[in-house]
Amino acid sequence: MNWFEQLFARCQMYGALSEEIHTHLSEKVEELVASGVPRKEAEYQAKREFGNVTLIEERSREVWMWPRLESILADIKFALRQLRKSPGFTVAAVLTLTLGIGINTAVFSVVHHILLEPLPFPQPSQLQAVWARSDAQGSPRIAASGPDFLDYQDQSRSFSHIAAVLPHFTFTWTGEGEPRLVKCTAITEDFFSVLGIRPYMGRLYTAREYATLENDTILVSYGFWKNQLGGDPHVLGRVIHLQNDPTTIVGVLPPLPDLFPETDVWPEHNTRPSWEFSKWRANKFLTVIGRLKDGVTPAMAQGELTGILRRASGEPPDVQVQLTPLKDDLVGSVRTQLRIIMFSVALVLIVACVNVAALLLARAARRSGEMALRLCLGAAHKRVRQQLVVEGFVLTLLACSPGIFVAWLALHFLPYARGLDFPRLEGVCLNGTALLVTGAVAAVTTLFFGWAPSLMFSALNLASSMRTGRTDTGKSHQRSFSGLVIAEIACSVVLCICAGLLLHSYWRLQHVDLGFEPNRMLKAYLRTNYYTPEGHGFWRDVLQGIATLPGVRAAALADCKPGQGAEIATLVFSDRPNDPNHAPPAQGCWMSSDFFRVSGTPLMQGRFFAPGDDADSAPVVIVNEQAARKYWPGENPIGKKISINYTGPGRTSKSATRMREIVGVVRGMKYGPLELPIEPAVYMPYLQDEISHDMATMSLFVRSVGDPTALESSIRVRIHAVAPDQPIDDMQTMQDIVSRSMAPRRYSLSLLGAFAALALLLSAIGIYGIVSYTTLQRSREFGIRIAVGATRGSVMSHIFRRGLVLTASGAILGVGMALLLTRILAQLLFDVSPLDPLSFASAVVLLALISIAACLLPAWRASHLDPIRALRSE
Amino acid sequence: MPSAKKTAHRDLFPGALEMMILQSLRRQPMHGYALVQHIKQQSNDLLQVEEGSLYPALQRMLKESLVKAEWEISATNRRVRTYRITPAGIKHLQREVSRFEQMLDGIALVLSPAKP
Repeated sequence: MNWFEQLFARCQMYGALSEEIHTHLSEKVEELVASGVPRKEAEYQAKREFGNVTLIEERSREVWMWPRLESILADIKFALRQLRKSPGFTVAAVLTLTLGIGINTAVFSVVHHILLEPLPFPQPSQLQAVWARSDAQGSPRIAASGPDFLDYQDQSRSFSHIAAVLPHFTFTWTGEGEPRLVKCTAITEDFFSVLGIRPYMGRLYTAREYATLENDTILVSYGFWKNQLGGDPHVLGRVIHLQNDPTTIVGVLPPLPDLFPETDVWPEHNTRPSWEFSKWRANKFLTVIGRLKDGVTPAMAQGELTGILRRASGEPPDVQVQLTPLKDDLVGSVRTQLRIIMFSVALVLIVACVNVAALLLARAARRSGEMALRLCLGAAHKRVRQQLVVEGFVLTLLACSPGIFVAWLALHFLPYARGLDFPRLEGVCLNGTALLVTGAVAAVTTLFFGWAPSLMFSALNLASSMRTGRTDTGKSHQRSFSGLVIAEIACSVVLCICAGLLLHSYWRLQHVDLGFEPNRMLKAYLRTNYYTPEGHGFWRDVLQGIATLPGVRAAALADCKPGQGAEIATLVFSDRPNDPNHAPPAQGCWMSSDFFRVSGTPLMQGRFFAPGDDADSAPVVIVNEQAARKYWPGENPIGKKISINYTGPGRTSKSATRMREIVGVVRGMKYGPLELPIEPAVYMPYLQDEISHDMATMSLFVRSVGDPTALESSIRVRIHAVAPDQPIDDMQTMQDIVSRSMAPRRYSLSLLGAFAALALLLSAIGIYGIVSYTTLQRSREFGIRIAVGATRGSVMSHIFRRGLVLTASGAILGVGMALLLTRILAQLLFDVSPLDPLSFASAVVLLALISIAACLLPAWRASHLDPIRALRSE
Repeated sequence: MPSAKKTAHRDLFPGALEMMILQSLRRQPMHGYALVQHIKQQSNDLLQVEEGSLYPALQRMLKESLVKAEWEISATNRRVRTYRITPAGIKHLQREVSRFEQMLDGIALVLSPAKP
């Protein structure tokens, strides 16, 4: 008989078996009766001698089955039936697990992709980013200058290829619709060999093109080709106007989501011959990447490059070249943030699992009568345990697929999260490893869920529980139950404290003094092609046109961008010796006379610029209070004379600087990240530029009477009235800029806040669960108490006490854990200590309130017990 | 929980019950109750087989085609399921018996008083 026939013949076979056994018994009874035994006695004896009919029938049937498998199937069926019977429990447990598993899978996918997955280039471990550091100068990350790079290239033997990259600059693209800016990343000759990239279409640059300064060919990025050029298959040979020069597209690069993903075009950066600005040793602006030769370790290369760099003149003596794996270099900034998210999400999963375990335990306790009966009827402990494990497994399985869906959904909407500027975010997807990890987590939870209740039953006293009809599983399991809830509360406290710390930092940061008034202020980036003296007139006309717009209070130009950044100038003092190798730095800015009136920066001393501070008048400078304090401590800086080496962005030459008189001191402005301190800065009228025809890049700042965004179109019109092909880029309110700079912080805050809220909710369910469960178990006791005269108030306070003891133990444990753990948050905190008492206290108070709320219902229920009914129902 | 004591009592050694069933059936086809009676008588009541344990063994042998079963009317005019030994069963029995005898010889040798 093959197994297939067996499958169908089985029912028949089982029937035959029952009948056979039945006949056997009756035959035996007949014989015993015939030998004179009374019928009743005969029936007993027959059964006794035959053995456990059910067990024997089952064992006989098992011959035909795959007993292990089928018993598991039966358990699954039973578990599903059980779950259907208590939908409240099922929904709570499945939802909890779904969220836990889903969020974890999503976060792990992101972390895995960003931090762990290697770069999609051949032998990615050979790719290294080259930076210098000098502790004496306090600069941990120094880029390379043109001469530095040439030295590396000529003298180093460690790399098979080495290239320099100049990212984050723009070209103007005119001639097709509204003039636009395209984002550029310039690369030197070996760049594509370093990475091992082949063009998606067309060709790369030829050696001759790398050696031509005024090259008229260009490589475009895949994204630019798809989105801006419409994916035109005949794009090769097409001419576009960049910087007013006709430029021929010769190639399209493949998608490079990991490396400067925002790049539109990849111009070549010439090294021989090169532009003037890349001949200055001190002009460190190049990112250098290289591919190590086989068998060369980063340490060897590091030593070699350090030697090369130290031979150059003017380098600080402690300069040290550092190699960072390219991947780490790209993701370095978000590592901590991701780790913290990962850590908090793991805590949420623990809380979720503990919560479900507590729910299961409570349910198992209610089912201890059923279990006792099973064990009495001859079920093996192993078998009961199997059933409980299967139930846990079914639950996890039920939660897994929606969990994966939640993860998929989260990842799907991740790219739309505003202000989330993680590197390598593109291409994040649910990956096998993440699913595997989720599976492992699910498996562990399952075992945990199954084992915890089954341990409880192994201690079950069958005789007593059957005799009394009461299903008390004793103190030990209540203790494990309390343990679970305490663990859960502790995890929630940790998350709440972390969220509190971030919230406090965020609040502090929002109230930081920016040095300018971001409300009703608009900014636009203008990069002109006026490298000639006519540029001057252009800026004057633009300013005039906009200042006279209705709704505009004031307008100004500046080449620094408050809230975003400024370039570095160096100072030369007239009243002290100057060391050219250690020139004191300050942030520099060329600006029009009304700038501080637009920005709302307060004047501390002296005067603002006046329209009269122009090319014909004596050169002047305004410094910020930080510069005044640092360079003229205890002195009045007004009237002092300094000269300033400052080129500013977008300029390609410089000439000798002049001495300037300090005429004012203003409040410092935040340029970069809000959490960094304000640096010394100097401000100069752009009309007094040493070569005033060379102002290629300025930002326009407008202070409006009303909503600044309402002015956007009229500003565009006014600018285009002056120069029709002027690109206007990056127009936004200062409020948006400030808010965007806080986005990553807001993002971690909202994530951690959400996790903390989730954990709190789960703990509330946990506290509610255990308190109402123990109350239920003790309803007889409470009934007696009330019957013999306990007041409702005393019963209620008794229950509250129980809840509060749990909460207090959990809170103490949680605070202890937090004291050890919050240190890792330090990098994300601003002006708040990792042991901030406010955050710790509010987390504990919040949890206390929640636990009181969770105890309310069971306490009320117990205190309103009808003693008669409570006693009778037992 | 099925105790270890009971198991030892029922199964002298693995396969003993099967061997006895096959040997009985070889003599003549029988139904379950008759088999129990037969084994009891043949062993002079020395072997007390738990009657029920016969059935899982019979099912096992059915599955392995050592025996086959048919519904018949018994001498006492009951509808009973009569088991017959198959050629495969005979072969299996012979093999088992010879293995058992070998084992017995071995045990006997070990247990017999040592020869000088």
